[in-house]
Amino acid sequence: MSDPLLAIHGLTKRFGDGVSLLAIPSLEIAEGACWIVTGDNGAGKSTLLRVLAGLEPAGTEAASFEGRPLDLANYPDRIRREIVYVHQHPYLFARSIAANIRYGLARRGITGLAQVSRVAAAVAWAGLDRVAEVPPARLSGGEKQRVALARAWAVSPRLLLLDEPTANLDATARAQVLALLQEIAIAGRTVVVACHDRELIDLPHAEQWHIADGRFSRRR
Amino acid sequence: MFDATREAFRLLFSGDPEMWGIVAVSLRVSLTALAIAAPLAVAAGYGLAVGRFRGRRALIVVLQALLSFPTVVVGLVLYLVLSRRGPLGAWQLLFTPEAMIAGQVVIALPVLAAFTLAAVQGADPRIRDTALSLGAARTRAACTLLYETRFAIFAAVCQGFGRVISEVGCALMVGGNIAGSTRTITTAIALETSKGDFSQGIALGFVLLVLAFGVNIALAVMQGRGGEP
Repeated sequence: MSDPLLAIHGLTKRFGDGVSLLAIPSLEIAEGACWIVTGDNGAGKSTLLRVLAGLEPAGTEAASFEGRPLDLANYPDRIRREIVYVHQHPYLFARSIAANIRYGLARRGITGLAQVSRVAAAVAWAGLDRVAEVPPARLSGGEKQRVALARAWAVSPRLLLLDEPTANLDATARAQVLALLQEIAIAGRTVVVACHDRELIDLPHAEQWHIADGRFSRRR
Repeated sequence: MFDATREAFRLLFSGDPEMWGIVAVSLRVSLTALAIAAPLAVAAGYGLAVGRFRGRRALIVVLQALLSFPTVVVGLVLYLVLSRRGPLGAWQLLFTPEAMIAGQVVIALPVLAAFTLAAVQGADPRIRDTALSLGAARTRAACTLLYETRFAIFAAVCQGFGRVISEVGCALMVGGNIAGSTRTITTAIALETSKGDFSQGIALGFVLLVLAFGVNIALAVMQGRGGEP
């Protein structure tokens, strides 16, 4: 059997006062997997995603990405280009939507014509043509979320981490974002989606996981 | 008083070369000092805001204490260092514009660093996370954060400019108010007024006010545009 895309063993995350937030003996994300991670507010869903994205330090016994050792305490830039984390309330840079999408592409050395075509494809994919010229500050919550998804989609990450992508969205915006998530899952992208039980997201061939009291378990 | 004011306006609008020469020296010294201090101070302020290292809190306290460091003491220390018997006496920098620039760099550094620190600490934490998560290396993420908070950083630079263009103690001590070389707006006002020549003092005071207000108005206009992209 081939190596999982991301494997972490003995993951522990504590609050500043030493209280344990997460204690996960083993976590293995296979290539092409689609995970839905549920849990109450404060259960540690966001923290788990942020740890996987290298935005927060955590203790691990061993970790690997594509079979190669990964030091989560000293997260390498190389892995940052493979794993993209999308915040629950995405921050859009104070520049055009196209420039927001270009940002990640430029970090991967994708420039010129290739960049232009990827930006256009991402804008079309997320259905942003109508608002393409609108400054990010004036976009609605759903539109911002779609720009963030387009920005992440454009760089074709090996692993996409989405933190409550449909939280606080109205029904229409939620449906639009869900449609994009469906496409991501159907395309076979490896994706981990955190969501609240109330906002449970259903995606094709998704595995359901649950975080409660620091423990991480598969839901049947 | 009335005559002095009338004479001051005559100096201002007749393009008096001596007076405008003084303004030019002031601007050249202060802007050069800012150009040297800004990159160092912004990097230091950013490092203090984002870094997690031992002694960070102590450094922040020291930085804040340095904000109220009297400029005349900076001048005194620099004078001792640059005077003929001082450790850098051989460089013969005392009473030169370069000495004033050095003094103003020292004065501007803590102001710029402290305001950058505040700007970065006050910045949206998602900016850096977003940059990093989109694949930016740490230095690139730093540049992105500074760019996103550029109005606050520019405000820091304006604060630094306001502080160095209006300081008199250090410029007087290490510059010496030499006409045509190290005579700046503030040293000229201080010394010409004490000699009873009010008109030049009033004219230069007016220029100083316009500079100080102008920088702040420019900042306000830019921030207004920044808030409504």
